[in-house]
Amino acid sequence: MTATRTDAKPPSGTDWQLPPRPSTRLRTALIIGAVAAFTIATCLPAIGGVQLDFGALVSHWDNGSGLLLQLFQPDFAFLPRTVQPMLETLQMALVGAVAAALLSVPLTLWAAAPTNPNGLSRRILRAIVNVIRAVPDLVYATILVAMVGVGALPGLLTLFLFDLGIIVKLVSEAIDSADHPYIEAGKAAGGTQTQINRVTVLPQVWPLFANQWLYTLELNVRISAILGIVGAGGIGRLLDERRAFYAYDDVSVIVLEILVVVVLIEVASNLLRRRLV
Amino acid sequence: MTANDPNTLLPRRPSRLVPTLAAVAVGIVVIAATAGLPIDWRDLGTVPAQLVHFGGLMFESPNWEKLPRALTEMWRSISMAWIGAILCVLVSIPLGMLAAGSVGPVWVRLPLRGVFAVIRAVPEVIIALILLTITGLTPFTGALALGIAGIGTQGKWVYETIESVQEGASEAVRAAGGGTAEVTRWALWPAAAPALLSLALYRFEINIRTSAVLGLVGAGGIGSMLANYTNYRQWDTVGMLLIVVVVVTMTMDAISGAIRRRITRGPGIARTTRTALPARTTRSRNVDRVR
Amino acid sequence: MNTDQHRAEARAQLAASASWSIRLDDVSVTYPNGTKALRNVSLDIAAGEMVSVVGLSGSGKSTLIRTINGLVPATSGTVAVGPHTVTGLRGRQLRRLRGHVGMIFQGFNLADRTSVYRNVLVGRFASTPTYRNLLGLTTATDRELALRSLQSVGMLDKVWTRAAQLSGGQKQRVAIARALTQQPSVMLADEPVASLDPPTAHAVMNDLRRVNTETGLTVLVNIHLMDLARTYTTRMIGLRDGELVYDGSAADATEADFERIYGRPIQPDDRLDR
Repeated sequence: MTATRTDAKPPSGTDWQLPPRPSTRLRTALIIGAVAAFTIATCLPAIGGVQLDFGALVSHWDNGSGLLLQLFQPDFAFLPRTVQPMLETLQMALVGAVAAALLSVPLTLWAAAPTNPNGLSRRILRAIVNVIRAVPDLVYATILVAMVGVGALPGLLTLFLFDLGIIVKLVSEAIDSADHPYIEAGKAAGGTQTQINRVTVLPQVWPLFANQWLYTLELNVRISAILGIVGAGGIGRLLDERRAFYAYDDVSVIVLEILVVVVLIEVASNLLRRRLV
Repeated sequence: MTANDPNTLLPRRPSRLVPTLAAVAVGIVVIAATAGLPIDWRDLGTVPAQLVHFGGLMFESPNWEKLPRALTEMWRSISMAWIGAILCVLVSIPLGMLAAGSVGPVWVRLPLRGVFAVIRAVPEVIIALILLTITGLTPFTGALALGIAGIGTQGKWVYETIESVQEGASEAVRAAGGGTAEVTRWALWPAAAPALLSLALYRFEINIRTSAVLGLVGAGGIGSMLANYTNYRQWDTVGMLLIVVVVVTMTMDAISGAIRRRITRGPGIARTTRTALPARTTRSRNVDRVR
Repeated sequence: MNTDQHRAEARAQLAASASWSIRLDDVSVTYPNGTKALRNVSLDIAAGEMVSVVGLSGSGKSTLIRTINGLVPATSGTVAVGPHTVTGLRGRQLRRLRGHVGMIFQGFNLADRTSVYRNVLVGRFASTPTYRNLLGLTTATDRELALRSLQSVGMLDKVWTRAAQLSGGQKQRVAIARALTQQPSVMLADEPVASLDPPTAHAVMNDLRRVNTETGLTVLVNIHLMDLARTYTTRMIGLRDGELVYDGSAADATEADFERIYGRPIQPDDRLDR
């Protein structure tokens, strides 16, 4: 006799004796409520919110479509004029990355726990690095331009500071989360922290550094292309100038150039990373 | 003593010619790049003194009178960042899922990934500048720019997350007769949701910094205020603005970071077992990236 | 000359320092989190002895061995090595003392991405001024000592190899060479063979015993395997829950003694060769 399937029913005269169902309803409601309130608060221009104007987007689209069309028709005759500024951009990116790489080694070792047992100096350095990282790149550039004048120097300084913040934070965290059993051997042999760091730790963490140095190089090329907009050197200045003249065919040449360079650097850096690490 | 001299019994030292040549080549390129920069290197020597001088002007007595306005503008930048993040996430999650290996067909995946790569390669400021010319110098344009520019990186993170979900749950759904839609809804989404949520919050964190940058080129918010007062060389106000930016950014980073850790760790962990957890949860390589 | 003779000669040429005694006087160690790792341990080890410290994990063996070179400070009591008192030393004096105490570890503690040569040179840290290390300079003496140490453990042919490419037994040998390069007066070994398979474990214990018999170096070995303790060492210290429960001849220790030390009946895992 085949068994017949019936809908599951509790045995007659009794109820399912289920365990109490955990209710996350209240918590979910609170979270959604908080998010909604936050979002509404961001849309109120009165207290500084954003005025959502999707309508404007639609109406201005006609204005914009002409410009956009020009954007897709690059004027390659403009290319020669971009060479010198592009070169300056690349130089700034490279020199900034190298300078930051050099200084990042001692600072990172200072900021990581296995290499610097002094908790106080570590915390102070970490706090300074966090403050440096809280300022966006272009803000540095704007202020530095006002301080030292227009040109490649404020751009270089911006990249240097920005990269240093990133490298020290990321590599010191990586050092902290890795194991370093050889440090105990160095201590047992009577070495100073500096000897241990230089001879045993540094060769071990070199791939961590190389990884971040390549990353900052990539990042620099992208950033330095626009630093010129605020006067800090590179192709950004030319870009802004052409845009102000509504010469969108020139603008698109520049943007294409930036695109190509960024992609090339990314590819090259991925190749290098595989060989080195 | 010399009969047993270890020096005569040594194996040959491996050649270090190639790395040395490479290092020399890189060194030459770097020196050439440095020399070619149109900088008067004597100026470099005066920089520390100038930094100290301007640092004094900015921070000795910051102009707190303008604080209310600064806070309003800061909220404007945060709003730009928030709305931009919402727009970005709303677009990039479906598109990113389609671009994932386990979901979309090849002829959909590759073009999508290409679009992501192109958007990623174009700096946000340029997207913003172009948008500004179309829709005007408003914070809404800034939010739009942030939303669009973020799609590149966010889309990539989404499909990487989906692809890193383990096979088991998808297999189970398929075995029960589910198609791609069911697999996505019942296997991929639940597994990936915490990571995707965490990445969405991270996008918000990144956007806060970028919104200040967009403000500098005219989108409004604290960046605009900063640009204005820097142009007028009103250093005491600039100092106050910098303090506001740093404090607010660090606070939002801390709050957002704490929420993200809570999301990826999961809520149901009793206090008694907390010490058994590792000090750091595993972070995807990309979560540490700035952009 | 065959390689064994090479090795014996190299060992003889390395031994330049006199061998020291080890003394613990009522030493207790309490960790900051409240754990009492050692309770009132006193022992006297003469120069030139080869002693094993036996006990289960958590019995305090690791703590005991680390009080001798100050890696763990004693909370009370005094530790003396040779003519020096270890307790209370810090900074340069502590480092100088550590230079005379060689130590090898269960996990080998080598820098994997670095060559065997550089790893062995770590033994010269205490006698090298820091600036030399910063610039990567080595003196002729450093080089000579490092190479002779490697020769004495039979690892000279691997001198330029990256440490990561070695097997466990080879790594431990390199670690021994690192310790020998210090020209130590005492050799400490914290569970040196726990990560090695039986034949390799025997080989490494043999190396340690040879260092002791040929050069008269005082050797203290932490070990949890009864047969290795009995075979390779002359004297045995038993620890249980931080307390000294046995101090006597290793060969004469009976199974009952071991059961007292372990606090439980003998299991097959307590022997290396079953």
